[in-house]
Amino acid sequence: MSTLGKKLYRWVDDRVHLGDLIEFMGKKYVPVHRGSIWYYFGGVTLFLFLIQVITGILLLLYYKGSEDLAFESIQFLMSKVSFGWLIRSVHSWSANLFILAAFIHMFSVFFEKSYRPPREMTWLSGMFMLFLGFGFGFSGYLLPWNELAFFATKVGTDIAGVIPLVGKPMMIFLRGGEDVTGATLSRFFGFHVAVLPGLFTVLLGIHLLLVQRQGMSEPLGAEDSPAADKKTMPFFPNFLLRDLLFWLIVLNVLAILAVFFPWELGQKADAFAPAPAGIRPEWYFLFMFQTLKYLPAQLWIVDGEVLGILLFALAGILWTLVPFWDRKSAKGQQSRIITYVGIGAIVYILVFTILGWLF
Amino acid sequence: MLARLLTFLAVTLVTVPAARAADECLVCHSALGDTPSTMYPGDIHYRKGISCSGCHGGNPESSDPERAMDTTAGFIGVPRGNAISTACARCHSNAAQMKRWNSSVPTGQLEQLQASVHGKLSIEGRDRIAQCTSCHGVHQITAVGSPKSPVYPSNVVTTCARCHNNAVYIRSYNPSLPVDQLEKYRTSVHGIRNAKGDPKTAECASCHGSHGILSAKDVKSSVYPTNIPSTCERCHADPGYMKEYGIATDQYAKYAKSVHGVALLQKNDLGAPACNSCHGNHGAAPPGVESVSKVCGTCHALNADLFSASPHKKAFDERHLPECETCHGNHAIIVATDKLLGVSPEAVCSRCHSTADFPRGYRVAATMRALIDSLETSEAIADSLVENAEQKGMEIGEAKYKLREIRQARLESRTMVHSFNEEKFDAVVTKGLTVAAWVGGEARNALAEYVFRRIGLGVSTLIITVLAVALWLFIRRLERKQVREETVTNNSSIS
Repeated sequence: MSTLGKKLYRWVDDRVHLGDLIEFMGKKYVPVHRGSIWYYFGGVTLFLFLIQVITGILLLLYYKGSEDLAFESIQFLMSKVSFGWLIRSVHSWSANLFILAAFIHMFSVFFEKSYRPPREMTWLSGMFMLFLGFGFGFSGYLLPWNELAFFATKVGTDIAGVIPLVGKPMMIFLRGGEDVTGATLSRFFGFHVAVLPGLFTVLLGIHLLLVQRQGMSEPLGAEDSPAADKKTMPFFPNFLLRDLLFWLIVLNVLAILAVFFPWELGQKADAFAPAPAGIRPEWYFLFMFQTLKYLPAQLWIVDGEVLGILLFALAGILWTLVPFWDRKSAKGQQSRIITYVGIGAIVYILVFTILGWLF
Repeated sequence: MLARLLTFLAVTLVTVPAARAADECLVCHSALGDTPSTMYPGDIHYRKGISCSGCHGGNPESSDPERAMDTTAGFIGVPRGNAISTACARCHSNAAQMKRWNSSVPTGQLEQLQASVHGKLSIEGRDRIAQCTSCHGVHQITAVGSPKSPVYPSNVVTTCARCHNNAVYIRSYNPSLPVDQLEKYRTSVHGIRNAKGDPKTAECASCHGSHGILSAKDVKSSVYPTNIPSTCERCHADPGYMKEYGIATDQYAKYAKSVHGVALLQKNDLGAPACNSCHGNHGAAPPGVESVSKVCGTCHALNADLFSASPHKKAFDERHLPECETCHGNHAIIVATDKLLGVSPEAVCSRCHSTADFPRGYRVAATMRALIDSLETSEAIADSLVENAEQKGMEIGEAKYKLREIRQARLESRTMVHSFNEEKFDAVVTKGLTVAAWVGGEARNALAEYVFRRIGLGVSTLIITVLAVALWLFIRRLERKQVREETVTNNSSIS
């Protein structure tokens, strides 16, 4: 370190005691085993979120959240502003990769049963962040105010509207009225840049704090192994540098996607135009959308769509509360049923997403 | 009284078939001298041996008025409203009955009448607007082919006009329907010939039909816009029928292939002109040389205005050239392309203008063609560049939108041709060329940006990859060093 660097470090250390922090990180160890690679997806998700924040702030410099100007402002950004196309493309692609990384992270935690005590709160905060991520995706999809987003939002909020009792008020709250209008755009913009980021940041803080406090979860049964048999690596600098390596790889993938597959803007939304063919939600909602399409209109005395939504809600609640009903994992025992449930969920999501894409 | 009786007997003896039984209705009513019975011997039904009771019911064989007009014996008196047509239909809708009278008259007239526009309820709300007698008359009905018949070609126009020329009457049914058809018809070629007694020329029923007349707004009507050409064609494309009139019979064939015909007949574009749009309908006549531009100008208003203000107007008038038709033709008008303009052999300008004859016009035509060609080429280039940039995923919405302005300028320039004014034409084309240059520039910038992005991606990917590899090497070196240090620490602790 140069003399100036040393002086600066000492100046900061005198005030905030950096040495303690470095010492704490130096004593932190990450378990090394055949599933260690999955640890990095938490970091990748965090990295993609940071990219979202940075590109989102840059987009805010030009975006105008009104019915008359939203589409034009994005058009201007993409065609006239230097690197505006890149910022928007990176924002859109990283949003999708963020959900993908969060899914991988969630399933890896699920299959490793890392949600078992004492990490229930970490799992819960992660699940809530995933739901907020869906909210980010749903609200952000409408913001360019293009034809596809307009009608997809209409369909999406219509689906929410069929939920018994709370559906209709919820739909009106989301839309800011009976229909998808400029009022919907305004409140989706508000959710996307203020409400959701605020909540997400709090949850992220709790999540990271818990991870730091409790350390990385070890595979089931590994806790009982003698300390000498356990393979570990220091969190700092080894794990952090590997994390950085992953981030660089993701950054490269993101740049390639943004340049070779720039995010299209499409046609401006027109409420009076007929709905275009091929309306579909973002890919991570597709399996639910496709399931609702396959359900018959009436199942015995229950509306098919209502039943589907209620079943998805129930499945989501059960999934979120898994640390509290998976008693075997809590006792440190292997729980094959949970593994099969996880595999079933992945197969179901994959099959219905592909079906939704094809038909 | 005696004289009347003798007359009746004379008429009866001459006209009634020998086998005919005595018609006591006629005997008494003729003796009373009432008009219907006086008229009836001239009626075709009388000649066919049909008694008064055929329509009025009752017993024609009884001379006792009480028994002859006994309602229990079927006497109905004078039929009113729908009962009139029902009385006619008793025979006219009965094929077997008509065969007995040795008649070839079709038997579906009442059904057609009921389905027609005249079959709707009258304003009283009880009966239909028209009954059989409204057109065919009563008590002196003659065969349709008889010149005495009110529906004979030379009479039918006044028969129809009895109602259709009555503004008060027509207003009560359809206030928007004109009532001057007869006046117009009398000025038409058809009307003039009809007045001279030519039964072959078109009259009301020739185009509108007779019993089954439908509103002109009804798609099944023979005078609905898309059906008009085939209605006119029935006579005008028949060489045998038209022989004596000495006019061409290929108008329909030409029209059907023309830009107007294709639009109307194939694309069902009701805005496209049918025969009557140019020739008129009730007042149908070929437009004169001096009025062609007025006819075409009904739709092509701007072109007609520009032409009227152009130097060609005077030149055409002096040479008695039909204005629009001279360059575009009449029935066989094809899509006007830029090829019509200029001095090439296929261009219409070169028919009059050459380097020797009217050389100024020759030069202007050549310049105009060069300008419009250049605008077309610029548009094609701009279009292709925008498409190319779009295919490469570049956002070029504004330039794409501006392509419309180039097309608009090209359309304007094709209209401006009719001013035959080089300066005005040049102004419109220049406007289009300016936009085309801007659009082309934007598209080229987008394509250059596309290349820049690829290069930028290559450089940034390389930098990130180098960083990743360097980091990986650094991690490996670090971990080897850590292993070595750990080994040294372990060894020293053992020793």
